[in-house]
Amino acid sequence: MAETAMELTGLTKKIGSKKIIKELDFEIHKGEVFGFLGPNGAGKTTTIRMMVGLMGITGGDVRILGKSVKSDFKDAIREVGAIVENPEMYPFMTGMQNLKHFARMSPGVTKERISQVIKLVGLENAIKTKVGRYSLGMRQRLGIAQALLHNPSVLILDEPTNGLDPAGIREIRKYIRKLADEDNVAVIISSHLLSEIELMCDRIGVIKNGELIGIQSVHEQQTEEDPVREVRVEADPADSALRVLKAHHGIEAAGDEGFITFSAKKSLMPSIVASLVSADVLVYRVEVSSASLEDKFFDLIGENVIG
Amino acid sequence: MGKIFSLVWNEVSKIFIQKSTWIMYIFLALLVIAVAVITTTTDMSGKEYGADWKEELRAENEQLTEEMQEEEFLTEVNTQEIEMNQYHIDNDIKPVTYDAWQFVIDNAMLASVISLLTIIVAGGIVANEFRWGTVKQLLIRPIPRSMILLSKYIAVLIFALITLVLLLVLSWLTGALVFGVAGSNPELVVRNYEGIVSVSAIAEVASGYGFKLVNLFMMATFAFMISSIFRNSALAIGTAVFLMMAGTSIVQFFADREWSKYILFANTDLTVYDSQMGPVQEEMTMGFSIGVLAVYWIVFMVASWLFFTKRDVAGQ
Repeated sequence: MAETAMELTGLTKKIGSKKIIKELDFEIHKGEVFGFLGPNGAGKTTTIRMMVGLMGITGGDVRILGKSVKSDFKDAIREVGAIVENPEMYPFMTGMQNLKHFARMSPGVTKERISQVIKLVGLENAIKTKVGRYSLGMRQRLGIAQALLHNPSVLILDEPTNGLDPAGIREIRKYIRKLADEDNVAVIISSHLLSEIELMCDRIGVIKNGELIGIQSVHEQQTEEDPVREVRVEADPADSALRVLKAHHGIEAAGDEGFITFSAKKSLMPSIVASLVSADVLVYRVEVSSASLEDKFFDLIGENVIG
Repeated sequence: MGKIFSLVWNEVSKIFIQKSTWIMYIFLALLVIAVAVITTTTDMSGKEYGADWKEELRAENEQLTEEMQEEEFLTEVNTQEIEMNQYHIDNDIKPVTYDAWQFVIDNAMLASVISLLTIIVAGGIVANEFRWGTVKQLLIRPIPRSMILLSKYIAVLIFALITLVLLLVLSWLTGALVFGVAGSNPELVVRNYEGIVSVSAIAEVASGYGFKLVNLFMMATFAFMISSIFRNSALAIGTAVFLMMAGTSIVQFFADREWSKYILFANTDLTVYDSQMGPVQEEMTMGFSIGVLAVYWIVFMVASWLFFTKRDVAGQ
């Protein structure tokens, strides 16, 4: 197993007598992209604020490369780059002035490093423009540049895809994969939309009402051999299709307005289609669902609403 | 040490990158010019004396004495003026004409404008980071929160100092253009609690502005505290400006109470110990006032520090 970059042990936050974060325990490895998923108000941002020391920790601890955020803040936070909530920068300064400002706050950030991160996020042309005139996507990119200045081992991005168009999301996904794969950075991404982060994450932890309700590896699912899938076939006539399935494959299918649906192993699909065709059924369309991660997410959350 | 320097550099440059700072400076420059214009048009600059200035002063004194005999109410004013003229004659100091130096001295009243500008900066320096949301970016660096706060406080003091120097330079240059320069450090005759004395212009400038700085310093620290506690710049600027304006009235209102000597504003004007006016309560001394000011300053700083370093930075 890879080295641990960040470790949460029994992390708890109480406000008044109310526990808003309940004993979170998990770890994130170097070179891994960890998705932190949950509906709005589940406690993602509070957890992230505790990880970076913006909020006090009521119980438990956060360790970054073994150093406690509680007792060894300076050495722990040195290894962290973050965007918490929105990528807020000084609107009256240019992108460059903002980066220089934050570069002065961390030891050992060189001019070369500043131009390197600008290039990485592709802001060369806008770097001399005031941030007040940036679009949200540009500010998001400047936020990432700022978070990477001091070569952190852990990168924390709170809702980095918020307000970005699909092209912007694809671009961010590309940087993040690159950072994890090439520079061995541990990346934590929070989101309330599974669809926006599932493609870039290695593992996804789901939080609800301040509790961690499960951690799901994205690769596990892809490596599962010959999974059973939901299949939907548009066939005419539907009744004979139902009969063929029952007779040849022993599958109970449900029919509905020209569509039949059933569950079957993926490896069986070619022979099912062949038997339908040889029984003179017209097959217009065959759909095999793939998103069982989404189903798992809904199972974990226990409801079909992500709000 | 290098680190606190870069932090202070960051804070000072943020103050001077903002347009509002330069608008305040333009405002200050216009005020100085306005004062110069008013001074020339109302001819408050006094008359010029020639080579036989002693004779001129004697003639003036005779005239003043005559006036006094005719109009009794002029007695006090004219006696003072006669004494001044006599001092010039006795000590062989030629009265200098109104020049850049005296204009600078008269502009010490504009020090309260510097207080106002410093309060605006001090009231915003912490609160604005919360308003912009950038405070999160500041606090997730390998720097203790108390260092960040200290760098902001130092930046406020540097701003006050730069603004003071700017006022002095602007006043002197405007004065030099409008009234001319009487010398590099001319000797002036002034009246203080010891009677009539002669002082150098630079010494007079230093004491005139120096005492005004006490109030500036305390009110800026107060605004800084409100800014860190409530994270709201309007509140910080509003309360500090209000107290600065109302300070003297508050002291007068409670003047007959024993505890009035502990009110901040009873102690911010240290010139009272140097004039006939005297402090609010007789037993007060300069040392007592400095002690009271120090206690207030410590309370303001500790409160700012506690609220800035201990409180969670949560969402809006």
